[in-house]
Amino acid sequence: MSCDEVKNELAFLLYDELSFEREDAVQRHLEACADCRWELEREKALHAALDRAEVAPAADLLARCRRDLRERLTKQARPSRLAQLWADLARAMAMPWLKPVGAVGLVAAGFFAAQFVQGPGLLRRGAEPLAVEPVASQVRYLQPDPSSGSVRIVLDETRQRVLTGSLDDAAIQSLLVSAVRESSDPGLRLVSMDILKNRAQSAEVRSALLQAVQTDPIAGVRLKAIEGLTSFAGDAETREVLAKVLLTDDNPGVRIQAIDLLTQHREARIAGVLQELLDRENNNYVRMRCQKALRDMNASVETF
Amino acid sequence: MDEAAWIRAAQDGDQDAFERLVRAYDQSVLRLAMNLLRSVEDAHDVYQEAFLRVHKNLHSFRFDCSFHTWLYRIVTNLCLDQLRRKKVRREESTVVETEDGPRDMLQVVAEERAEADPQRRLMSRQLGTRIAETLLTLTPRERMVFEMRHYQGMRLRTIGEVLGTTEEAAKNCLFRATQKMRHALGDFV
Repeated sequence: MSCDEVKNELAFLLYDELSFEREDAVQRHLEACADCRWELEREKALHAALDRAEVAPAADLLARCRRDLRERLTKQARPSRLAQLWADLARAMAMPWLKPVGAVGLVAAGFFAAQFVQGPGLLRRGAEPLAVEPVASQVRYLQPDPSSGSVRIVLDETRQRVLTGSLDDAAIQSLLVSAVRESSDPGLRLVSMDILKNRAQSAEVRSALLQAVQTDPIAGVRLKAIEGLTSFAGDAETREVLAKVLLTDDNPGVRIQAIDLLTQHREARIAGVLQELLDRENNNYVRMRCQKALRDMNASVETF
Repeated sequence: MDEAAWIRAAQDGDQDAFERLVRAYDQSVLRLAMNLLRSVEDAHDVYQEAFLRVHKNLHSFRFDCSFHTWLYRIVTNLCLDQLRRKKVRREESTVVETEDGPRDMLQVVAEERAEADPQRRLMSRQLGTRIAETLLTLTPRERMVFEMRHYQGMRLRTIGEVLGTTEEAAKNCLFRATQKMRHALGDFV
């Protein structure tokens, strides 16, 4: 190999991208050639300088990317009520006989909406400065009109409001329930759950807790939901859900808490559920708790 | 569960499985985008768009290549588009937007090297600036191949698969990139 050929291969030698034969030939040349060995040292210095030129993204950028992605996926998965309504309306309008009915409906909706809208309208001529409260807008639909040079824009608007009220206030409870059910932020769901956990006597709250314990992706939120259901350990619906959770939840902590609640009341059916769990359970501690619960119930630990 | 099982679960609509896939790869995706585009917002946008496309098209992934290759095809296409747009707009500079505000990209290099000797410190700073300038002279493909080989440690064969070309073509691209680097930085090393 000539020196020029070897110099052209030095980068690939450092990247470990030479074939066995080629690397062998380069190494043999390097052993015999001081100039090329010096070139190799320069190539190594160049690589080291380039190594230090790497820009590492900040940890909070990664966290922001993950949070935003999750929010966008959640939004995609759950079409807004408005979008659903629009889709239903569009389907209905596709039926020719419904067109006049739909047109009358839209006129009526516009008329009534105008009665309820207060304050300056977004597109009102000569309007005062737009809404004082922060508003997040998303363009939903555009219809340009080339003849007049104008464009019709349909916006989805999200307006922030601040509400303060007692935890016994039904409206406040209802908002907390929707945070438990719908928020994409696990921290918000957890805090809402913590506030609601002593109010499971409300059917709406209990229903949200039961939903969360079955479907929330974060184990901490599911544990908090079970905590909120403690005083309903004897309720048939709650026990039904907990039995299901016991056999399906992938988190051992959740399964243990479900065992604790279910075994507060002796019930033959629960012994069956525990035996079924014992058949499939891999976690030693959960197995131990399950066996103890069965022994306390005088039920057979063995399954046949 | 191995990766294939996570992919199948995500294809069946399991969001936890999808999130696990994202977390397995998203740091290197973000690092690639950040180094190539040198803008927090552009890197953020590429991250979002790449994983939204993965989510949308995962059902069509048929395991005829590795998931890593498939994902990187999406990411590199997005980055190449962005690099080409930047080239046209002539917006590139050595300044990187970071979470702490704008910083000259290879001031970072100079600062990290922080030599006690003022002359060496000056050399180090000049080297950093020269590297940043040289990276800008590479074509988008050369930068992409260089980035994937040097910083991501990917084999040339895989880079070829990701970019839809041969290992040999990827090797030629890397050769041109390293030649340009050596030529531009020869005085410093």
